[in-house]
Amino acid sequence: MLPESVDPNRLRLTNEEGSEGALLGLRCRDCATTIFGPGTFCQQCTSANLEQVELGQQGVLYSYTVVRVPPAGWPGPVPYILGQVELAEGPQVLAEIVDCTEDDLTIGMPMQLALCTVSGQDGQADKVVYKWEIGRGD
Amino acid sequence: MTNFRPQRQVMVAGVGLHPFGRFPEKDLASLALDAVVPALEDAGVRWQDIQVAYFGHVYYHGMSVGETALSKLGLTGVPIINVENACSSGSTAFWQAYWGIATGMFDLALAFGAEKVPRGPVTVTADDSPERYIGGDHMMAGYALRMRRYMEETGATEADIAQVAVKARDNAALNPYAHRSEQRTLAEVLESRKISDPLTLFQCCPTSEGAAAAVLCAEESLGKYGIDRARAMRVAAAVLKSGNYNGRGSDHSAFSPYRTEPAALEAYEMSGLTPGDVDLVQVHDAATIGELQQIESLHLVPFGEAWRATVDGRTALTGDIPTNTDGGLLAMGHPFGATGIRMIHETVTQLRQEAGPRQVKGAEVGLAQCSGAGDVTTVHILTK
Repeated sequence: MLPESVDPNRLRLTNEEGSEGALLGLRCRDCATTIFGPGTFCQQCTSANLEQVELGQQGVLYSYTVVRVPPAGWPGPVPYILGQVELAEGPQVLAEIVDCTEDDLTIGMPMQLALCTVSGQDGQADKVVYKWEIGRGD
Repeated sequence: MTNFRPQRQVMVAGVGLHPFGRFPEKDLASLALDAVVPALEDAGVRWQDIQVAYFGHVYYHGMSVGETALSKLGLTGVPIINVENACSSGSTAFWQAYWGIATGMFDLALAFGAEKVPRGPVTVTADDSPERYIGGDHMMAGYALRMRRYMEETGATEADIAQVAVKARDNAALNPYAHRSEQRTLAEVLESRKISDPLTLFQCCPTSEGAAAAVLCAEESLGKYGIDRARAMRVAAAVLKSGNYNGRGSDHSAFSPYRTEPAALEAYEMSGLTPGDVDLVQVHDAATIGELQQIESLHLVPFGEAWRATVDGRTALTGDIPTNTDGGLLAMGHPFGATGIRMIHETVTQLRQEAGPRQVKGAEVGLAQCSGAGDVTTVHILTK
């Protein structure tokens, strides 16, 4: 069974293995606000004149935390680092930060989208989940 | 701004509180009733005089728990409405009771709330949400993100922010209703186990059980129900706001730190009062950082300076901005449906000058602010 996007409204996969993809957002044609994920109306101006856009793969670290007591159902390692990353388009995307330790992180540093496959729970297909890793800033 | 202006003055005639803590022997309806009956007695009114009741709670304990609880008092046929608005469910019930009277629909209303919060991290989304895989739905992790960013922008240290928890425990030590009434030193707060860095356990509110209730009455009807005017406190502002767009997008909305500001500005306008008039304040301190951000958003201190006000003792009982005088969510505990009405209970008790060892001297104006995920914020201002 091929892995599937954790949320097709937020992450579009562009190959079958789920190793490539893009975050999805909606851009308002009236006020130019971009939001991450699904919607029907612009959250800023309430216009319905929206277009779906692929968001950039890079962002800047706005804040982070090391979650030591996980929420129920979390299938990953504990503790894990949760990062709040601001995209150039405006919205912020919360996701796990992988492949680093807390000591490697500084607010304001460049971050890069990373896709990871996570085992499906309760008999579901494996999920491709969007995560962040430290970026090179280019 | 609300289109409908209050048609008449509304008073809080009575309040009741069930201690916050863990009560495995009681179900939700029993908890609720043990706050409602004292509130009715405090107001000096009979259950059969109540014309409408709003019940705040979040977690599922069967359908229509509000009706189940109040049926024990007798089936009077009055409308009973169950309210879910996350952590502000209780304050939302109070807001509805206020507007039910202010608009002239009812004379005498009951707002109550109760909760038995499960142990463990609080999440907002449904169990089958994609958030389970993403890991971003974790209330205290959200506060931790805000805390680290606040430290970055203001220069506050972990120790500065942890002082909020020390102060909360100091206040709760004077409050027999509190879930966590042991005093804690700054070192103990900082050295308690980490929940989500930099937040430590004692900087996170406990998940609690408890209940609170308030009886509201039109000022012009106080005499009709035999309510003592001297112990009734005026609701000078009742504002509820949901989801102001914060420019950061949907993923961040549950943690938007400054959502209180528009509700506060509207409450000040409605009451004709200013931040300088407020003698004491109850705010949504689910985590230490929350209290700092809320009192800034209420314009009680400039943005970025609440941590300094706290370190300087200004938010203590003896300070000029006494904050969370009963211990707040951090030490009273946080049964979601009850919390907002617990804040009303404390405000009324203080304005009546009946708060005993934690009395704020000369308190005449009290503000209560309660937040919920989603997001929603309520601001109520009470005066003598």
